[in-house]
Amino acid sequence: MAKYRLGVDVGGTHTDLVLTDTRTNKILIEKVHSTPANPSLGVLEGVQRFFARGVSATDIDFFSHGTTVTTNALLEMKGASIGLLITKGFRAIQVVQSQARESNQFELKFQRPSELASQQMTREITGRIDYAGEQVEPLNEDDVRQAITDLKAKGATSFAVCYVFSFMNPAHEQRTAEIVREEMPEAFISLSSEVLPRIREWPRMSTTMLNAYLEPGLARYADDLDKGLDTAGVATARRFLMQSNGGVMPLGATAGGGRTVHTLLSGPAAGVQATGYVLGEQQGWSQVVTMDMGGTSCDIAFIQDSKPLEVTEGMIAERRLDVPAFDISTISAGGGTIARLTAANFMSVGPDSAGADPGPVCYGRGGDRPTVTDADLICGFLNPEHLLGGGTPLDRDGAVKAVEDTIANAMDLSAEEAAAGIIRLINARMADEIRVQAAKKVIDLATFTLVPFGGAGPVHAAMVADELNIPRILVPPNPGAFSALGLLCSDIVHDYIRSDIREINNLESADAEAYFVGLEEQATTDLANEGLGENEREFIRDLDLRYAGQGYEIRTPLEGLSASPMTADGLAQVQERFHELHQTLHGHSARDQEIEVVSYRVRVRVPVAKQDLPETAILDGVTEPVGERVVTYDGKEKFNAPVFTRDTLKSSVIQGPAIIEQFDSTTVLPPGWTAKLDKFRNIVGERNR
Amino acid sequence: MAVDPITVELLRNRIASLMEEMDYHFYRSGYSTIVRESRDFSCVIIDPNGRLLVAPWMFFHSPVYYHVVRRIKDIYGIDDLADGDVFVTNHPYEGNMPHASDMGFISPIFYDGTLVAFAATIAHKADVGGTVPGSTYGSATELYHEGMMLPPIRIHRAGEPVDDVMRLISANTRAPYVVLGDISGQIGVTRIGRKHMQEMCARFGVETVLDSMDAMIEASGEEFAAALREIPDGFAEATGYLDHDGVDETTKVKLNVKITIKDGKLHFDFTGCDPQTQGPVNLRIAMVEACVYYCLIGLIDPNLRYSDGIRDLVTFEFAERSVLSAEPPRPCSSYMKCCLKLCDVILEAMDPLLPGRAIAHSGGSGGSIIVAWKGDTRPKRGNQYEIFGSAYGAGAGADGVSGVSVMLANLFAAPVEIIEAEFPCRIREFNLNTDSGGAGEFRGGLNFVREYEMLEPAEIVYRADRSIEPPAGLQGGEPGGPSRFVVNPGTPGEEIMPSSARMNLPEGTVFRVNGPGGGGYGDPKKRDPEALANDIAEGYVSEEAANKFYK
Repeated sequence: MAKYRLGVDVGGTHTDLVLTDTRTNKILIEKVHSTPANPSLGVLEGVQRFFARGVSATDIDFFSHGTTVTTNALLEMKGASIGLLITKGFRAIQVVQSQARESNQFELKFQRPSELASQQMTREITGRIDYAGEQVEPLNEDDVRQAITDLKAKGATSFAVCYVFSFMNPAHEQRTAEIVREEMPEAFISLSSEVLPRIREWPRMSTTMLNAYLEPGLARYADDLDKGLDTAGVATARRFLMQSNGGVMPLGATAGGGRTVHTLLSGPAAGVQATGYVLGEQQGWSQVVTMDMGGTSCDIAFIQDSKPLEVTEGMIAERRLDVPAFDISTISAGGGTIARLTAANFMSVGPDSAGADPGPVCYGRGGDRPTVTDADLICGFLNPEHLLGGGTPLDRDGAVKAVEDTIANAMDLSAEEAAAGIIRLINARMADEIRVQAAKKVIDLATFTLVPFGGAGPVHAAMVADELNIPRILVPPNPGAFSALGLLCSDIVHDYIRSDIREINNLESADAEAYFVGLEEQATTDLANEGLGENEREFIRDLDLRYAGQGYEIRTPLEGLSASPMTADGLAQVQERFHELHQTLHGHSARDQEIEVVSYRVRVRVPVAKQDLPETAILDGVTEPVGERVVTYDGKEKFNAPVFTRDTLKSSVIQGPAIIEQFDSTTVLPPGWTAKLDKFRNIVGERNR
Repeated sequence: MAVDPITVELLRNRIASLMEEMDYHFYRSGYSTIVRESRDFSCVIIDPNGRLLVAPWMFFHSPVYYHVVRRIKDIYGIDDLADGDVFVTNHPYEGNMPHASDMGFISPIFYDGTLVAFAATIAHKADVGGTVPGSTYGSATELYHEGMMLPPIRIHRAGEPVDDVMRLISANTRAPYVVLGDISGQIGVTRIGRKHMQEMCARFGVETVLDSMDAMIEASGEEFAAALREIPDGFAEATGYLDHDGVDETTKVKLNVKITIKDGKLHFDFTGCDPQTQGPVNLRIAMVEACVYYCLIGLIDPNLRYSDGIRDLVTFEFAERSVLSAEPPRPCSSYMKCCLKLCDVILEAMDPLLPGRAIAHSGGSGGSIIVAWKGDTRPKRGNQYEIFGSAYGAGAGADGVSGVSVMLANLFAAPVEIIEAEFPCRIREFNLNTDSGGAGEFRGGLNFVREYEMLEPAEIVYRADRSIEPPAGLQGGEPGGPSRFVVNPGTPGEEIMPSSARMNLPEGTVFRVNGPGGGGYGDPKKRDPEALANDIAEGYVSEEAANKFYK
C-alpha cells in the first residue's frame, strides 16, 4: 500500500529531498549534489538513496519538486532560439522597453542585457486591433506564413507572438498559432494573449518572450524526469512542479499554455510556502517574516495571516516578468559578502561576494578579502573546528589577519571590533530591507516572528530582530530541508488574467461576470486537460483596480463579497474595499474619484493533501552544554557562551548568550534572549522584556 | 570624530532605505501620468544645512535641495521654522527648481526642539497654468508664460494645512484634481520622512544623528576628493550648440566650457557661453552643478557616492546673465535639453584628460509632447503627456544604447496601449530610426520613430532639440542622426516642423517624430566587419550608409 510523499528541491549546488510517511508523519531527508547539465539525474540519484534505505518505489504516491532549471537557463542564456512576431510598425517595443535605466545611472557606457529575439529574428505582421478590441486591419496570413518560413530557416524552434491589444481581442494571435501549427508542427508557440493577457505591451512582450525562450528546455526537462521516474519505478501519476506563486502544477502541464514563466521565481517560493502552511496554518505562527540567508544573498518574504504576500510584477536578471509570484526581495547579504575600507577610512560591506569559490578567507581556499563568515568566526559565532558538520577546520588566524590588514588597522580597531562592525552593518542591511518592505506593505513588525533559514540565517536572526524590535525568532528543525518540505504543502494553483479598462460605475455586473466566467471556463478546460477534471476545485476572483488616471493597479480580492456571481452590490462593495486598501497602502484615498477596473483575475486552486509535521514529546530536563566559546557582539565585551547541540536539547530554557549547533546551521542567541523548543521542535527565541 | 564610523554607515544605509520608502509611496499613489508612468520626481532627507546625505534616484534634483533649503532659511530664519511646517515652491529662481512645472515640498524635522533634518520632495506637475496646457511651453519668452509662481511659502503650518495656498494653487492649474492629488502625495511622503527621522533620533540620540550626518557628508567628500586627485592636472575646453532657444529659430545657442584642473581641484569656467536667451533654455546654478557632478561621477567612478561634500572641490565661473546664469524673468521650462547638451560638452572637454572614458554626444532629451484633445468621442482624462528618451553616444569599447532615457534623464515611456486606451489617438508606427546612430568604430545608439494619428482635433505642444545641430561624434566618429518633426508625412500637405512648436491639428492629421540618435566614437572604417554586418542585418545601418561611412 502506497504511503510516501516525496518533495525534491533542486538548488544550484545541492538537491534536497524530503520523504514523508503519510501514516506516521515521519520524515526522511537526503541531500545530493545537483547535476546542472541534466538536473533530473541528481533528482533520480536522490530518489535511489531512499530506495537504498528500504523505501519501495511503488510506495511513493506523490512526487513534487522545485527546480531552478528555467532560472538557470535564463541566467546562463541557454534558452531556445526564438522567433518573434509583432504588429507591423512596432519594432521599437523590444528595444525601448520601459525606456528607463534600472542600473547605475552614472554608467556612461550603459548596456542593456542581450536581447532574447534580435531584429533579425523578429517579423512584422500586418493586422491591427484597437483599444476596444475592434479590428482596424485584418491579419495578413501570408505575412505569418512567410515569417515562419524565414525564421524556421534561421533556426527558430519556439515562437513568441505579441500583437498590440491582443489582450482585448486574441483572434489574430490565435489564428497565427494555427498557421504556425500548420507550417511547423514541431514548433513551440507562446501567445501573449495566453501568457499574459494584460495591458502594457512591453511587460506582456517580455513575459511572452521569456516563456518562448525557456519553454522547450523545461518541456525537455519534464520529459526526462517523467521517463526517469518511470524507469525508477516511481509509478505515481501525481507528479508536480513548483511555481512562483507557491502552488504546484502537473509536470505534464509545463509544455504550452504559458506556464513556463510561472516557474522562473519558484526557487525560493517553496521555503516561503512551507512557512505559510507548516508554521502558519498548521502551527499557528500566522505573522512571519522569513530571512533565507545563504552564501551570497538573503531572500526576504512576509507571511500575513498565514498567507505569503504576492506581487504581480517582477524582474529577473534585468528582465521584466509580470506573473503572480511570492513577494520575495533579494539583497546582497550572505556569508560570502565582502567587507572593505573606503577611501575615507570608513567600512562598507557588500554588495560583492566571495561566493563559494574562493569563499571566505577562513575556508582556506585562497580567499583574501574578509567576509561576513570570517567576521562570524572571529566573533565566536561559528565553530572553528568545523563548518556545518563538515570535517574541515576553519582558519581563524587567517580571518583575523585579513580583517586587520584590510580594515581594522586603518580604522584603529581591534580585529574583534572590526568583525563586530562588519556584522552590525550586514545585520543593518537586512534590517533596513525588512523595514522598507514592511513599510511598503504596512506591516507592524512588533507583531511578527522572524524565521531564518539557510546556513547563515540563524546566526544573524536574533541580532536582526533586535534592530527591528521584532520580539521573537523561530528556527525550524531542519532549516536546510525546509524548502523541500514546502513542496509537500502546496495546492495545485493556476492564475488567469484578462484586461479591459472600464470605469466601474459604467460596468454592468453581467459584463464583469462574463469575464470571470470566461476565465473560469478556461481554467476548467485546462484542469480537464491535465487529468484533474474530476477534482474538487475553488475559484478565487480578484479585480485590479485604480483611480481613474492612476497608472498602477491594486489587486483587490473579491472574497467575501457578493461577487460570485457578480452583482451590482458586489461592484459597490469592492469599491469600498478598494478605497480602504488604498488608504491602508498609501495613507490616503479619494472617495469622490472614479474607480476603474483594469484587469479581471481568477485563480483556481485544487486542494492537495498536505504534510503535517507531528508534535513530538520534548524530553523533560535541563540541557547540558557540550562546550563553551568566547563570543563578542561589539568587539569589546567578551562572554563565555555555552554551546549546545540541537539534537540533544531538552525542555529547559536556554539563556543567551548561547550557541546552538546543528548539522546544517548555527543559532546564535545574544544576551537578553532566551530560547526553548516548542512541541514541533522549533527553536523559539524571545527577547526578554 | 565624535561618532563611530560603523554607526555612521549604518545610519546612512537607513536614510537610503527611508528615501526608497518615500519614493515608493509617492509613485504608487501618484495621480498624474507624469508621476505614475514617468516617475519624474525625487524624495530626499537632507541635513539641517541643506546638504544631501544620499543622492536620490532622480540625481539631477540633488543640488536643487541645497539651494532651496538655504533660500527658505534666508527668508524665514531658523527660528520661524516649526515641526510640521511644509514649504512649497515651484520657482526656478527663488527656489532653484528645474522649471516651474516642478513643485518642491520641504519640511523641517525637529526633535526635542532641535532642527535635525529636512524631508523634501520635488515632482513634476501635470499643469501649473501659464500659456499652454501642461505649462512646459517651449516658446515661452517670460517666466510668467510657464505658470503660476510660488516662491518658498508655507502650505502646512505646524501640521495644519494652509487652505488659502491650496485654493490658490487649485485656481491656477488646468488640472486641479491631479495636481492636488500629487500635492497630497508629496506632503504625505514628507510626513513619512519626518516620522522615521524622529524615530532615529529617539533610538540613537540627536547628537549621534547630527554628528553622523556631518561625518557621512565629510566622508563622501573625502572619497570624492581622492577620486578627483586621480585626474591629471591640465586644461580642457569644448563648445557645443543648441538648435535654438525655442523662440528665435535662426540663432544657435552656444555652450562653452573651459576646465582647469590642479591638485584635484576643478574649476569650470562657463564665461564663454551665450547670454541668457529669450526662449526657455536658461539654466540656473543648481542645474549646472547637476550636470558637472553627474559627468564627473560618470567619468571617474560610477559607484562614487554623491553628497554635497563635493562642493568644496569644484568651483564655477559664469558671465553675468548668461544662458547658464540667467536672471528673472527669463523662462526656463526647456531646461533639460540644455542640461543634456551641457553634459555632452563637458564630457567632450574631459575626453583628452581621461582618455577612453568619455562618450560621444547623446541624443539628449528626446523631448516631450503634450496633447490636449478637443473632441468628445472619449471620456475626458486631462492631457496626454509623454517624455521621450533618445540614444546614448558611443564610447571606447561600447556602442551607444538605442531608445533610452540618457544621463540625467531617466524616465519611463508611456506604453502604446495605455495611450490608445486613454486618449483618442492611434500610434501608427513605433520603429527604430535606421541610420540615426552615428557611424564610428563604435556606433552611436539609434533613436525611434513614433507616428501619431489624431482621432479627434488636438492641440499639440512639443519641445525638443538637435534637428539643426545633430549629436556630435567623438574621436573621429560621425554625428548621430538629427531629430525631425513632420505633419502629414508623405502627403501633398506634408509640413516639416521646427524642433519646438505649438499647433492645432484637425482630426485625421498624422504627426511623425524622428528622435535624434547618439554620436559615433572612433573612425567608422575601423569598425569590426562582423559588427557592421550585424548592424546591417539588424536594420540599424542601411547599405547606403554602410558604403558611405564604413567602407
